Amino acid sequence: MTLFGGKKKKDKGLYLSDKPPLTVAGIIGIVTSYTILFAWVVAIVWPLFQMVVSAFNGQQQQYIMGNENFEFSLRHFEFLYNETYYLTWVKNTLFIAISTALLTIVMVSFTGYAYSRYRFKGRKASLMAIMLIQTIPTFAGITAFFTMHSIVSSVIPAFSRQMMLILIYAGPAIASNTFILKGYIDSVSTELDDAAKIDGCSNFDIYRIIIMPIARPMLTIIALWSFIGPFMDYLLAKVLLTSPSTYTLAVGLFTLVSDFRTMNQPAFAAGGLLTAIPIVIMFMVLQKQLVSGLTSGSVKG
Amino acid sequence: MKVIMKNLGKKYEGRENFTLRNIDLEIDDQDFCVILGPSGCGKTTLLRMIAGLNSITEGDLYFDDRRVNTIPPKDRDIAMVFQSYALYPHMTVYDNMSFSLVMRKERKKIIDERVKEAAQLLQIEDYLYAKPADISGGQRQRVALGRAIVRKPSVFLMDEPLSNLDAKLREHMRVELVRLHKSLGTTSIYVTHDQTEAMTMATKIILLDGGKIQQVGKPEEFYNKPENIFVARFIGSPTINIIRGKYRDGKFVSETDTITLTPSKEDAELLKDYEGKGISIGIRPERFESGGEFGDTFEATIDVIEMLGKEKTLYARLKDGSDLVISTPGHYDYKEGETHTFGFDINAIHYFESETGERINR
Repeated sequence: MTLFGGKKKKDKGLYLSDKPPLTVAGIIGIVTSYTILFAWVVAIVWPLFQMVVSAFNGQQQQYIMGNENFEFSLRHFEFLYNETYYLTWVKNTLFIAISTALLTIVMVSFTGYAYSRYRFKGRKASLMAIMLIQTIPTFAGITAFFTMHSIVSSVIPAFSRQMMLILIYAGPAIASNTFILKGYIDSVSTELDDAAKIDGCSNFDIYRIIIMPIARPMLTIIALWSFIGPFMDYLLAKVLLTSPSTYTLAVGLFTLVSDFRTMNQPAFAAGGLLTAIPIVIMFMVLQKQLVSGLTSGSVKG
Repeated sequence: MKVIMKNLGKKYEGRENFTLRNIDLEIDDQDFCVILGPSGCGKTTLLRMIAGLNSITEGDLYFDDRRVNTIPPKDRDIAMVFQSYALYPHMTVYDNMSFSLVMRKERKKIIDERVKEAAQLLQIEDYLYAKPADISGGQRQRVALGRAIVRKPSVFLMDEPLSNLDAKLREHMRVELVRLHKSLGTTSIYVTHDQTEAMTMATKIILLDGGKIQQVGKPEEFYNKPENIFVARFIGSPTINIIRGKYRDGKFVSETDTITLTPSKEDAELLKDYEGKGISIGIRPERFESGGEFGDTFEATIDVIEMLGKEKTLYARLKDGSDLVISTPGHYDYKEGETHTFGFDINAIHYFESETGERINR
């Protein structure tokens, strides 16, 4: 304490900031921007807060009411567990999300590496094509997806709607992330590849031992995004999945607020709250991989 | 190991011209061979062809008697130090150094011995378990060297390894590299654009320009007997003075008649055929004298003086407005704006044909 106190006293009266001193206009600017930021925060946090409170409020009935009564209870969670397919939905969503993430990561790591390191015919043209096709929303192809699925499943009966959904999610993710990863790998010096070649690496070794570990932070982010995607998407899943036991979380939970016969808003809130758990876990697991600046120290002095 | 190049040529995909052509060279065992040249002359390309990182368009490359044109880099028994060091950022120094041996599936004990040995030689034992990002530029440089040493290669390739170091460290590493080369007893091929590095380290210099070999030889040959004007200008700091003129009545006369020079007897013999033709003379800044034989002197006004301590570099202007660089011992008293009379050491004059730039007095 004395140490800090002493230091503070010594600095008293000295202007230590690197910025010029505040003017009146500056102060007004700061106050305004903080006001806007706080309003923003309230707009985001208030509904979330309401959701959490309602999820645990035993007093809430079918419709969420803005009342003062609060009684802690896990009634709505029990309802989810006993009266709905909630666990199946979680399982479905996790299956779809993990498969999508894995598929995306594997494919993107190949395409990104190839586009960054190899010069081949049609490289530029295909990159351009990928970019242009991105502009068409995935949903536009929904009838084609239906047809493709019925053709494939007539040949391979094990090919379920969920698997089709995985492919639909992974497709655009692979395309757009190829760009991102290509850009990232471009920033890794090709002298590393040369050094590895002299050290005895094959092209696949370079990919596996040198480039992929360096691209890990970027791969992690790509994995995370493609994992979250299926949690967030409602439209494609809703159209493609028809039986309640194959629903994803988003589609399943929506049945709790879309139809007055099955209406249970507090349970919807509780379900939404639980949905966050796998994503949070995923974040915590992958956080360690998100170390930035992994390339530093490889080149120049 | 001997490295022999026979009529080597390289043309990149999508390029109009050959980057390198007609390269005929022989690098002896245990040579410290420096490939020197300005940027864009193809010196790195040549090194990468020797390493096997770039393909060979035409000609043959031999390591001793083995033709290695199509042999992949890892089987050529070479090691390479890159300009940017190219350390693997996600591996520790130890892993970086042992990587090539691990890929070769060498026994763990042998790997450990070799890495420790190289680390001791380069004095990097203390950072063996640090990541490349955590050590300084000089240390990274040593790691890059260490990574090459542990392989015990027959040919040691270096691509401007010192260009990212500060001046003092560079001076130090120059000596260290030569020491290392001697203790390893390998053939070293070193690429640089810095003539000081070439002059101080090489046992053999190859000067490239425009995809062609300009001169091959020992450092002192380069300094004292440059084959052409380009070589003369490239080697030596401050740069050699080149004066264009004519050979008239057994004398060299500069274009504006400000300088007249009588060649020495031996040179006069060789210059006989050039009577009336355009020739140029080259004179190193330190070979001016105050008087000079035959009394061929000229007057020059000192424009700028660079004081280097052991010597002074005088930037002097002649009456016709052309510039000369003269270096004198540091304790001589010259002042800017003064006019002095200078002469030549006529035994140190290089004569070139003006048109082709080729040396006359070989």
